[in-house]
Amino acid sequence: MHAGSAILQLLVAGIGTGSIYALIALGFNVVFKSTGAMNFAQGEWVVMGGMISALLFASTHNIGLACIAAVVIVSVIGILSERLVVWPLRRPNALLITLVSIGLAICSRSLVMMILGKKPVGYPGFSEASTLFVGGIAIQTQTLWIVGLTLVFLLAMHLFFEHTIMGKALRAAAADRDAAAIVGVRVETTVMLSFAIAAFGGALAGALITPLTLSSYDQGALFGFKGFSAAMLGGIGSLPGAIVGGLALGLLEAFGSFYISSDFKDAIAFAVLLAILFARPAGLLGRADVVKV
Amino acid sequence: MKFDRRSFLQLIPGAALTATGVQTSWAAGEPLRVGSILSVTGPAAFLGEDMKAGLQLAVDEINASGGINGRKIAWTFYDAESQTQKALSATRRLISQDKVELIVSGGNMSGIALAMAPMAEAAKIPFISSEGALAIVTPVADRKWVFKSTVDDEDVLERIADYCEKKKIKKVALLADSSGFGQGATTQMKKVGPRRKLDVMYETFGPADTDMMPQLTRIRDSGAEAIICWTVTPAGVIFIKQAQQLGLDKRTLIHSYGFVSAHYMTLAGNAASSILLASLKLPVGDQLPDRDPLKAGILKLFKDYQARFNRPASLYAAESYDAAMLAKEALTKVGGDVSKLPQGLEQVKNFAGKSGVFNFSPERHSGLSKKDIVLVNWKDKRFNLVDYD
Repeated sequence: MHAGSAILQLLVAGIGTGSIYALIALGFNVVFKSTGAMNFAQGEWVVMGGMISALLFASTHNIGLACIAAVVIVSVIGILSERLVVWPLRRPNALLITLVSIGLAICSRSLVMMILGKKPVGYPGFSEASTLFVGGIAIQTQTLWIVGLTLVFLLAMHLFFEHTIMGKALRAAAADRDAAAIVGVRVETTVMLSFAIAAFGGALAGALITPLTLSSYDQGALFGFKGFSAAMLGGIGSLPGAIVGGLALGLLEAFGSFYISSDFKDAIAFAVLLAILFARPAGLLGRADVVKV
Repeated sequence: MKFDRRSFLQLIPGAALTATGVQTSWAAGEPLRVGSILSVTGPAAFLGEDMKAGLQLAVDEINASGGINGRKIAWTFYDAESQTQKALSATRRLISQDKVELIVSGGNMSGIALAMAPMAEAAKIPFISSEGALAIVTPVADRKWVFKSTVDDEDVLERIADYCEKKKIKKVALLADSSGFGQGATTQMKKVGPRRKLDVMYETFGPADTDMMPQLTRIRDSGAEAIICWTVTPAGVIFIKQAQQLGLDKRTLIHSYGFVSAHYMTLAGNAASSILLASLKLPVGDQLPDRDPLKAGILKLFKDYQARFNRPASLYAAESYDAAMLAKEALTKVGGDVSKLPQGLEQVKNFAGKSGVFNFSPERHSGLSKKDIVLVNWKDKRFNLVDYD
């Protein structure tokens, strides 16, 4: 087999996995933008997206309907989570919300296990034909769906944050909570909205990847970890950074495990991540925060 | 009859001394205290539930037939929650508080059983493990009290090597997960491969990985004729699907006995028909030739298990069931004296259990052999016998 086709095959694999990481990283970024906190429940929403889709697919046999409904349900769960654990905080600050989100993640995982079960679940891909062969390489049609829908979602988010009042309000609330409140931004609503968007992105990632990898209640931590790394790599708070970071991490894993060793797949990816963060602490596309004292 | 503090107090006015004596614990009539630790929650729960059911069935059967040498079993069970630390504190409790005389099953994860073995050894309490890793019972000099009822990776790999020889396959790839289960097989393959003149390439994946294209592309380009996947995690389904997408289903794909699960096969969809599994005989019990020593026993287990739990019996249930029945067999041989149970087990020869034919010896505390392994496939929504011997 030619080296060229192997490289292309890895490229496809890396972009597919990378897109999923980008979607999860986006969730981290949105919550960070509005609260300055890291939301470690992000990975659990990915799992919920996949597992609820599977449950709905089993009863409706309509893949599109199942996934859309699941994403909506998980978005509502995102809102409820915010109302239940973040909103009641008397003095919300970034560190406190980050800590609370870890508790939320553990709770969510147990609930998923108890309600949706311990067995891994799956369903067929969105298209009838599962694999296309282009120039000697195999491309899963689901990978195309993943890349396509990720791009659409990220573009929508970009427009939302740059060109709508609501999006600008979210950014204002993140930049300075008190100042935003003074100029009339309902800060608590913006936090709730950011949780809804983050849950939406996470659930979408889960619904998209389950046909390829199955979904089980204990995968959330790993998804969260990968998404977090991608967000840091790209530059936390930067939307294009989520894409760049996600794809970079996906490609690093694919090529690292092929050319060096599959034993060190994660180690290679994280070694590069560390190296980049040493050189550019704010990530590839992030801007360093200058705080005047 | 349960022996608790109250019944102890009731005994005092009478001949209390018999109950407090040191070596009277195996007196006929008093229940035999057996402890078990399994993970019925956490990632390994799907194994633990079946193993617990297997033990329940065995304990009830033994008690219904009058117990072991006249002593019925009093069974204590703890959930390890798939965590070694929890299992170890439960083991301590079994030994010091519940004062069990024997332990059957160790957490349904090799890592847990490995950690429990030295504790049982130190307390001189017989431990019959229903977990896989060979290191649980080796070196035998340090594991006088520890036995296991499962097959060894080395035997399974030898059996796969036999199949490769039959099919004239020279070059194979071992794609193992990075857990103890996968890496144990990699270590064994490094012995079996050279011995059987197989050219082996090794690849690894993480149990939670979502993509195996890089590893599979490498294997494809290496020209390996057979690919052996070694995992119990859902990642094994990704292997089946992606191997098919790369056109590797035209080569020989083999999953280990850790993946013999109807649920996984269903999740793999139509791609599942392209693989073989090196399995114990149980899933194809009804298709075994009539001369097979296990057939009748397996069919009975199927019937009893279905009637009791309303689901089909799995390999894992058979492993724990066998562990309990081996304890009975060994104790019967030594007249019910638990302190001689190891000597009893070492005398067990040609004992037809549900997962295989057991032969123990003072040198070998693992009872099964490669003869207990068959190759099966998944067609028509069930496992089917492909290669018997």
